[in-house]
Amino acid sequence: MTKLEARNIVKHFDHNGNNVLALDGINLRINEGDFVCIVGPSGCGKSTFLNIIAGLEKPDSGDILLNGKTITTPGPDRTMVFQEGALFPWLKVIDNVEFGLKMAGIPKDERAQISQRYLDMMQLTKFANSYTYQLSTGMKQRVAIARALVMDPEILLMDEPFAALDAQTRDLLLVELQLIWERTKKTILFVTHSIAESVILGNRVVVFKNRPAKIKKEFVVDYRRPRLAEDQNLVKYQQDILAELRTEVKAQIKGEFEE
Amino acid sequence: MKGKVTTKRIAFYIGIIVVWQIVFSLNILSQNIFPSPIQVAEDLAYGAADGSLFLGIATSLWRLTAGLAASIAFGMILGIFMARKESVNQTVGSLVLGLQSIPSVAWVPMAFLWFGLTDAGIIFVTIASSMFAVTINTYSGMKNVPTSYIAAARNMGASGIQLITNVMLPAAFPYLISGFKQGWAFAWRGVIGAEIIFSFLGLGFLLNVGRELNDISQVIAIMLVIMIIGILIDGLVFKKIERKVMSRWGLA
Repeated sequence: MTKLEARNIVKHFDHNGNNVLALDGINLRINEGDFVCIVGPSGCGKSTFLNIIAGLEKPDSGDILLNGKTITTPGPDRTMVFQEGALFPWLKVIDNVEFGLKMAGIPKDERAQISQRYLDMMQLTKFANSYTYQLSTGMKQRVAIARALVMDPEILLMDEPFAALDAQTRDLLLVELQLIWERTKKTILFVTHSIAESVILGNRVVVFKNRPAKIKKEFVVDYRRPRLAEDQNLVKYQQDILAELRTEVKAQIKGEFEE
Repeated sequence: MKGKVTTKRIAFYIGIIVVWQIVFSLNILSQNIFPSPIQVAEDLAYGAADGSLFLGIATSLWRLTAGLAASIAFGMILGIFMARKESVNQTVGSLVLGLQSIPSVAWVPMAFLWFGLTDAGIIFVTIASSMFAVTINTYSGMKNVPTSYIAAARNMGASGIQLITNVMLPAAFPYLISGFKQGWAFAWRGVIGAEIIFSFLGLGFLLNVGRELNDISQVIAIMLVIMIIGILIDGLVFKKIERKVMSRWGLA
């Protein structure tokens, strides 16, 4: 069953006074329970695409359909994990996790029950009453994931959430995220510039072409889980994708050089 | 480390008093314009004994509190409107900058004509001198909320008033605090300045009485009280809040 569908999404943006085409007609269909990774060179527009799905940016044309219905505004049915976490420093961890529930007007007792479940899942129980400045970057991203999951979204959007983490923490979270996906059966759309990350996580990997972004090719990664970062069998998938991406990265470097 | 600073400070103030006493003992200046530290202390003790000093402090502090509370409330509301509606900022915003540049005592004649010799007149001056600092800082704070906070909040379903009260204002808190701090400093100047001119109770009034009686000890004694209250409010209220906010907001 189709959970989310992007129909011919076109988006321009203003770059030094020039009107640049960022997304050139993106079509993507995501089925319920899919784990889809979008991979592409940095600045190719994949985050813009995610923001459009989240309703935080508007496309120039095209539609986003969730469960067959067009959506235009942001909503907790498509919660997002941001690259920099975007946690609120004035709130304790538990209040950060409960934020969306509070906005939805859910009473305190019920909020506490729901948040407890996700604090446990993300191994944050001990830190429930900490403030975010007391947490490591890895811990912060755990909070960000808990805060997004707590809303029980139709689809979980993740915008390079592990880009700022050290390698060990990232590898740990890559495994945990797979376990969470299997446990919650969430549909996940995950944006990354790391090919390794995309083949560890996704059962579908969508490669974005450089500006203007278009879907260049899609790969299916049919391999047992949980996949570990050091698994040599994943290298083959990586190589296939890398071959596809190499020309894109070159094009991007050339483009930047000419600017 | 902290103990060392305190020792240094105490030594410094003792030094000032010693030098002061020595200059006094040299008898270069007339006692009418240069009292000894002991005379000033006696004057304070006298004011404390007959209660006039405490009445003065209480009156000034009440006017400060009332004026500052109103300033913070009105100032924040105006700042929020300026940040949310660009046309308000373009019009009212320019006036706010202008009003902020008016020295607090320049409001006194207007306050006198409008309110006469009343508490309300002095509180009006206090509000007028401090409110716009709060407004300007609230505006800057709201404008500098990281876009990622707003995106995250909207993503989790916050909108309208919820977004302002649950995200923008708390995110702007470091700015708000410096606005309150500036507001308090302006308000304190406003209260004392207005009291001197109104000559209607309060520490400013006592200063004025000292001048009229040619009593330099009283003038210096009251100035010391005004300064000490300033140091206490800055240190006990604002420094503490600031430290907490800075560490929690990851700014320190």
